[in-house]
Amino acid sequence: MTLVAPDVLTRPSPSLLSRARILLAILDPLRLAGVVLFVLVWQVLTLGLPAIILPTPRGVVERLVADFWSAPALSYYGVEEANLYGNLIYTAENVAIAVVIGSVIGILAGLLSARFGIIRAIIDPVMMTAGTVPILVAAPFLLIWFGVGRASAVCLVIFYVIVILYLFAQRAATNLDPVYEESARTLGATPAGIVRDILIPATVPEILGGLRIALAGAWGLEAIAELLGSQSGVGKVLEVLAGATDPQGIMATLLMLGLAAIVVDAVAAFAVARTAKWSAASR
Amino acid sequence: MNSAANSRMIEIVHVNRTFQRADGQMVKAVDNVSVVIKEGEFVCLVGPSGCGKTTLLQMVAGLLEPSDGGIAVAGREISGPGRERGMVFQKDSVFPWMRVIDNVEYGLKCRGVPAAQRREIARTYLERVGLGHVEKAWPRELSGGMLKRVAIATVFANGSRVLLLDEPFGALDYVTRHQLQSVLLDLWDEGGAAARRTVLFVTHDVDEALSLADRILVFHSGHLVDDLAVTAERPRSTDSLLLPDMVAIKHKLLAHLGLEKRAKPLAIVQDGAAS
Repeated sequence: MTLVAPDVLTRPSPSLLSRARILLAILDPLRLAGVVLFVLVWQVLTLGLPAIILPTPRGVVERLVADFWSAPALSYYGVEEANLYGNLIYTAENVAIAVVIGSVIGILAGLLSARFGIIRAIIDPVMMTAGTVPILVAAPFLLIWFGVGRASAVCLVIFYVIVILYLFAQRAATNLDPVYEESARTLGATPAGIVRDILIPATVPEILGGLRIALAGAWGLEAIAELLGSQSGVGKVLEVLAGATDPQGIMATLLMLGLAAIVVDAVAAFAVARTAKWSAASR
Repeated sequence: MNSAANSRMIEIVHVNRTFQRADGQMVKAVDNVSVVIKEGEFVCLVGPSGCGKTTLLQMVAGLLEPSDGGIAVAGREISGPGRERGMVFQKDSVFPWMRVIDNVEYGLKCRGVPAAQRREIARTYLERVGLGHVEKAWPRELSGGMLKRVAIATVFANGSRVLLLDEPFGALDYVTRHQLQSVLLDLWDEGGAAARRTVLFVTHDVDEALSLADRILVFHSGHLVDDLAVTAERPRSTDSLLLPDMVAIKHKLLAHLGLEKRAKPLAIVQDGAAS
């Protein structure tokens, strides 16, 4: 009765299993059916609506392909990069910078706040306030400080990422049962060893879950920040296309942004499954 | 280790521990407890919940500090946890993020034992507790009883001379509990009487104490109220518990736990530890 069930021993290792599951999730026939249905409804609607209101799916995809490497019209509108690719890279760079900086600060602050009451007492009110105010309303203020360059959009996203990862890291560390640390101490672990072998591995799955959420939000926030004031980026493209009343261009740009976010999230999900293969929640 | 230290493996001298309750009131969890435990002794700590037995164990482990008094292990006063004192917790303490074998190796790894050597030691003890076939499994794939086996293998692999067990089998079913008791006794007894490790085992199960212990310490409201020798021969069977001596001890224990009428009022044992 205390012996392990035979299937535990013979089934493939969890990492293989989770890899297969992620693939399946992407190729799930039901999900594909949902996408097909959406495109069908869209196509039917275009029969009754003029292209200036609702472009056809095919037109949007063709536009995306055409504009991806070269869209001379954009330079005419004052966008630095005259193609979608360059603007996507600009946005993606900003998201990457902001997520890296924001998560390092957020995770460290969150873990420290869970360990030391005084740090928590100092940081919590700030984070709680920042968490309740929609961070986007700080955009005009940041524009005053940093102008329309990279810095203001990146700052906005950094704030957002810090708040999310602070909360996730803090919760992960607070929920960690003290018995693990006590056990490690009785086995002879040093304080540094406890951080390396207990605190970090135990909180990684939950923190990576927060990172995925922050990443998803960061794309949107970065695009909106660019929309409000920027020289380049997906948001800037959307802004000028909206000014030019070009729904097809807008939808092509949105489609590209969405696809980029999906690919990045799939990579992040894969990383979570790999790093946290011990945890039932990660499978 | 010289023999003088060995005969007094754990010395607990006038130990007190007070806690402040949420309402501000001070509570004495352990009240002036003094006791000496010999090397190789299997000692069970018994008492109603809240009697201070777990607090005392945590102080011996070095996870809690006495408010007053001192504890020495192998002749040296302790401060903080040390690897000569291994602990098995009531809750599952096996690290879910390490594979079973890495858990068993963890203490050795902390001490810097080379990888090949510690793997061999860990394998040996995993085999002994009957888990040689799941060394690569993740803890979540194991049952509660198996996790306790891993925890036991871990403290034995770490080579601790003193084992502290805090109601380790309390949450297990009857059959599993008995299996684990014999796993523990086999490991404890494997090198013969001379190689036995010193065990402090907290339990609320009177029969468990009677079948495991050489000596039973009874606690009540933070006081050490009785110190009973259990002399029945090992290995003990169901019949051992029916021996007249054992039945007499059981009656005493039940009286201490308030389940039978006391023959005489509580007396606080004043052990000669301080002398």
